[in-house]
Amino acid sequence: MLVHSRGAKWAVWAVFFVLFLPLFALPLLVVLGASFATNWSSVLPSGLTAAHYDAATRGEALQALTTSLVTALAASLLALAVGTWAALAAHALPKPLRRVLDALFVLPVAVPSVVVGLAVLVAFSRPPLLLNGTRWIVILAHTVLVTAFAYQSVSAAVTRLDPAYEQAAASLGGRPAYVLWRIRLPLLLPSLTAAAGLCFALSMGELSATVMLYPPDWTPLPVLVYAATDRGALFAGSALAMVLMAATLTVLLVVSRIRTRASYR
Amino acid sequence: MNSGIRFDSVTVAYDGNVVLDALDLTVEPGEVMALLGPSGSGKTTALRAVAGFVRPVSGRVFLGGRDVTDLPPYRRGVGMVVQQYALFPHMRVEENVAFGLKAQKVAKGEIRGRVAQALDMTGMAAYARRHPRELSGGQQQRVAIARALAIRPGVLLLDEPLSALDARLRSGMLAELARLHRELPDVSILYVTHDQVEALTLADRIAVMDSARLRAYGTPRELYRSPSDEFTASFVGNANLLPVTVGEEGVFFGGRRIKVSGQAPGAADTLCVRPHLVGLGDGPNQLEGRVSEVQWRGATHRLYVDVDGHRVMADVRELKDPPSHGDAVTLHFAPDDAVLLAAGGSHD
Amino acid sequence: MTEVVRRVRVRCGLSRSSPRPWGVALPPVAFVALFILYPLALVLQQSCGYADVFTSEGFRHALWTTVWLALASTVGCLALGFALALVIAFVPFPGAKAVARFIDVYLSFPSFLITLALLFIYGTTGIVGSFQFLTTPWGVLLAEVTYFTPFVMRPLLAAFSQLDTAQLEAASSLGARAPRIVRRIVLPEALPALAAGGSLVLVLSLNEFGIVLFTGAKGVTTLPMLVYSKAILESDYPGACVVAVVNVLVSVGLYGLYRVVSRRAGA
Repeated sequence: MLVHSRGAKWAVWAVFFVLFLPLFALPLLVVLGASFATNWSSVLPSGLTAAHYDAATRGEALQALTTSLVTALAASLLALAVGTWAALAAHALPKPLRRVLDALFVLPVAVPSVVVGLAVLVAFSRPPLLLNGTRWIVILAHTVLVTAFAYQSVSAAVTRLDPAYEQAAASLGGRPAYVLWRIRLPLLLPSLTAAAGLCFALSMGELSATVMLYPPDWTPLPVLVYAATDRGALFAGSALAMVLMAATLTVLLVVSRIRTRASYR
Repeated sequence: MNSGIRFDSVTVAYDGNVVLDALDLTVEPGEVMALLGPSGSGKTTALRAVAGFVRPVSGRVFLGGRDVTDLPPYRRGVGMVVQQYALFPHMRVEENVAFGLKAQKVAKGEIRGRVAQALDMTGMAAYARRHPRELSGGQQQRVAIARALAIRPGVLLLDEPLSALDARLRSGMLAELARLHRELPDVSILYVTHDQVEALTLADRIAVMDSARLRAYGTPRELYRSPSDEFTASFVGNANLLPVTVGEEGVFFGGRRIKVSGQAPGAADTLCVRPHLVGLGDGPNQLEGRVSEVQWRGATHRLYVDVDGHRVMADVRELKDPPSHGDAVTLHFAPDDAVLLAAGGSHD
Repeated sequence: MTEVVRRVRVRCGLSRSSPRPWGVALPPVAFVALFILYPLALVLQQSCGYADVFTSEGFRHALWTTVWLALASTVGCLALGFALALVIAFVPFPGAKAVARFIDVYLSFPSFLITLALLFIYGTTGIVGSFQFLTTPWGVLLAEVTYFTPFVMRPLLAAFSQLDTAQLEAASSLGARAPRIVRRIVLPEALPALAAGGSLVLVLSLNEFGIVLFTGAKGVTTLPMLVYSKAILESDYPGACVVAVVNVLVSVGLYGLYRVVSRRAGA
């Protein structure tokens, strides 16, 4: 509709793919290729092997994967609960107060994750809450980081929700709590699952705050990927990264299935 | 039963903007009252004040004699149907209809019967297991009504309920609403609309709203036959509004003396004649002019006639040989059919 | 979860008629206070030795690198994201929808993945050759533009999908050519989305850590990198806190400035 002549269209598409493929598709393909290789000194990787995957799904790596999954699951559910509560509460507040809450919850986005990690480390390495050295400090930091995203996306959905539904429900005699449970939360469900998926993915890939505070017995997968590349084991690192991505995508796929069903109900 | 509505000097304002100005109005038990007005006239605000979604800054709202001004919406027990129906998309039709009963903790066994009854009344029993998105607009409309009726409200609030339907469905639904009202003679209905046909067809009385204020109210016949002001005259039916001078010697339009049966309400300056009461040819109150436009409307011809620079509309039975643009014609109307309107365009 | 929801249910009201909405807002505010504000306040309290840090060459270099890298990647992402989104939305090709889906998926990958790939492409034993591109800021810039561009494209695609195509057809039937249509019709509609995407990219790239960490480059040190190395590698917590405070101020300050400017620009 913008470009009409055939030639111009092909030219536009050519430019698109010249930009798009090397920038976005190539990195993924490279990591994928490397994860199956032992050597890469020409155009294509060589020394094909599945040994990296073998290593990446056993022992230390498997434990790191479990750690990541548990951390991401806990953090995203906690963040969803806090973010949804805050978004619903903010919606009921007068505008100036709502702005304050918006600003408070955007803070973890504006503050560097490394600093969030440092701050959590400093604050919870001392009484009254001594969490340093435990898995809880990792889960806490992840929760803090992703709550901001949960709040923002649920907040947007709450604002978009047509007040006609809750008003109709109220006129039929539904008390606020009943309307929230039977009408508003079900209508928000697609947005809630979307927010949960986003939080989960962010937590799975979180590295900045994690490297500041992970204890030796709670090492998430990204840290392991970094450790591998840092010691020069790029190919093994690639396999770990692919496992991380596959796990994330699988969970996201499940979540989006739930979401489709929720929106069709 | 909470039948009957009374507005006692109800004023609603948002951020200092008055959107409903000291409304005094009573809807009798079992009466259908239409709130008729253009958008922004305050009619929907009045309805929402009854439902409890807006809080008046002053004045009281009564339902069945009970002051409900301070009650939250869920304790008012009014049925409400809005323009876009607001059916709960995640619930089946029967769950939608049962919602109010469940919310009010009606016994399970009773819910079944009352849902079935409400769906029967609206002719939607066959669709109980469907989801709202599987229904047409008209069907959704019926479900919305069934849902509102299931809680057996004393008052039914309808906010532009037909405006989302196409013209053919609309007239069918109008008849349907009239039938429902015959079956539920105790229910008061407040019907908000901008469509005069809906108001004239359905309402026992019409309240005409404009700019946040009540302009006039009365039976459809009263408002149509003898409107109190220009706004009402032109909003309820079509009207020729002619500037006249009223003095000791009588009523004058241009140089002509006009015979009018009714009394002038104080200082009148406008004469209202309905187009279909204007005849072609000689008669009482003759007006001579030139035809500016002729529209054929099937059963009638609408003539636009220029009389001394004023446009006069006449709806006459279909003419075998209609006049054409520029022809000189004579119009007339009976003294009984003309109404003098107060100066200033307002009756208060 | 259910417990929380049940409690929300009981206390949260119909928005406008709820008698005490402040009470409901208290628990999330307490969460923010305890887990965000209190730790940040401690960081501020523990930061000392500003003079030493400010006078060090490394710090000033890191500050400058952080700011220009962030600004450059924001500009790069906005330009690239706008162009790519424009093609997907208005010069669609078979599979354009799939590409849009791919963009969504891309957002869920960790940033260090890009650097990892670049290590193979441009690294010392890579495809392109053994020159030290990656250890320069330009390598970081390339990685950041690559990783953050989808963050601009997503809101843009959402905005474009709401643009009435009848407007474009009307404009082109009136004889307007593509660049003019883009400038006069598409761009104004896209401004809010550009502003939103741009502010996100700005703040994310100011705070980006994984990409820089993975390059393993000693030559490119940004503020988050400095926080990490001071705290974890040197165990210099007061120094790390100073850099953290500066980093927060720069991030929040630039972010705020960006919002003001983009609002002035009518977005």
